Amino acid sequence: MSEQHSPRRPYLAPLTASWWLKHRYYRFYMLREATVLPLLFFCGCLIAGFYSLQQGEQSWLNWLSFMAQPWVMALNALTFAASLFHAKTFFELFPRVMPLLPAPLMIAGQWLGTIAVAALLLLLLGGVL
Amino acid sequence: MEKTVEKTLVIQRYNPEQDQRPSQQRYQVPFDNSTSVLDALLYIQQSLDPSLAFRWSCRMAICGSCSVMVNGIPKLGCKTFLREYSGDLLLEPLAHFATEKDLVSDMTLFLQHLQAVKPYLIRQEQSAATTPATKPQPHKQTPKQLAKYRKFSSCINCGLCYAACPQFGLNPEFLGPAALTLAQRYNLDNRDQGKAERMPQLNGKNGVWGCTFVGFCSDVCPKHLDPAAAVNQGKVASATDFVIGLFKP
Amino acid sequence: MNQPKRSDEPIWWALFSAGGVCFAVVIPGLLLTIALLYPLGVLPENALNYQQVQQWLLQDWWGLAGLALAGAAICLPLFHAMHRIHHGLHDLKLSSGLLGKILCYSSASLFSALALYFWWQGLG
Ligand code: SF4
Ligand code: FES
Repeated sequence: MSEQHSPRRPYLAPLTASWWLKHRYYRFYMLREATVLPLLFFCGCLIAGFYSLQQGEQSWLNWLSFMAQPWVMALNALTFAASLFHAKTFFELFPRVMPLLPAPLMIAGQWLGTIAVAALLLLLLGGVL
Repeated sequence: MEKTVEKTLVIQRYNPEQDQRPSQQRYQVPFDNSTSVLDALLYIQQSLDPSLAFRWSCRMAICGSCSVMVNGIPKLGCKTFLREYSGDLLLEPLAHFATEKDLVSDMTLFLQHLQAVKPYLIRQEQSAATTPATKPQPHKQTPKQLAKYRKFSSCINCGLCYAACPQFGLNPEFLGPAALTLAQRYNLDNRDQGKAERMPQLNGKNGVWGCTFVGFCSDVCPKHLDPAAAVNQGKVASATDFVIGLFKP
Repeated sequence: MNQPKRSDEPIWWALFSAGGVCFAVVIPGLLLTIALLYPLGVLPENALNYQQVQQWLLQDWWGLAGLALAGAAICLPLFHAMHRIHHGLHDLKLSSGLLGKILCYSSASLFSALALYFWWQGLG
């Protein structure tokens, strides 16, 4: 049968760049991916911290006061929320990618890790250790 | 029982012999608690508009042919009920596939992608078994070995996961959830010896690496296969294969 | 059937995954303490004093704690972030080519190297 006489004329709706706005699930996905934007800010802060640490005491004090600026703290509060949201999604994906133990156990274990790091840092900086 | 309550179905129509682009048409359909979307479509075709085109066969979520978008979400028409929706229903053909007519999609790409991963048992000795001297032996499998892949084995090839997958929408070359899940299913089957033949497909950029774990495919899968998990387990397999490849000439 | 080319994605995916673990396990505690509680004055004033931090990160154990911190809180999270941005650009139809990929991973490498360089300099 020749192509010309085929009554077929499949219609394909083009996918626009705004596809992810159209459904709750896709928006959730984009939010998950966007957690890395505030993360980049915090990484920048830490690079600056390493820089100032090797520059000397005055530079280190400047960095500490930079970290205490309200807008920096606000952005880092956002980063904190993003990191927890990321952790929730990441921990839930892990047992599906590597089903080693029952999923609830793996999720709980990972949260335990996050809490342990936070507790350790709190004790260390709180002067308890 | 007398059907008295009615619902409005807005259906995307497209006739390739007349229309430049799809349009929408409204139908009033009587329904009760047990009326599925497929029942409603059959009612329209039989009583209101015989020109409406859609696919169906089994009416019991087995054949995978009645896939449509209901209010933007891929669904099996026979497994979705009008009572689940408070307002009107918008029915469209599967997203990310070309529309042949009305609610009928062109599934060629899907079938090609399925074929590409060789979704069947591959045995090395099969060619040798043609000689009458070597009788084919039955393949034994323990319940434990079965459990390894069983979860991924009940795919009905409905294509809902492709309509849910933006990566397939963005890049039709991406092998997609069902094909990669089937690859994983056979790779995990102890009777199969075809993993080496499947890996090159999974290792490519249109194989497992086309996936960003959006995860919507697992949400819409009517058989609860968790295709997103299968694809991402395929990433672990492909990464392992990558490392092995580094040490092989 | 012709075989597709093997993707180099396993490398970036491994870095992305490792960085994702760091982002989920290490970063929250770090943010909570040094970026929120300390500036708020909840932690002792001298918790982050210069000599103390110097000693922790750059002197004790040949500065290995500093290296671990740079790796887990800067380098790996950077690769995690740039991997998601690389794929995000594709999702938003902004880029799908090699250029975006090179820009993403080379900037992650560059800033990782910078962090490690500052750590190295600090060892003195
Ligand atoms: S994996 Fe699920 S959604 Fe995808 S084709 Fe198979 S049954 Fe349908
Ligand atoms: S008609 Fe067979 S799955 Fe719906």
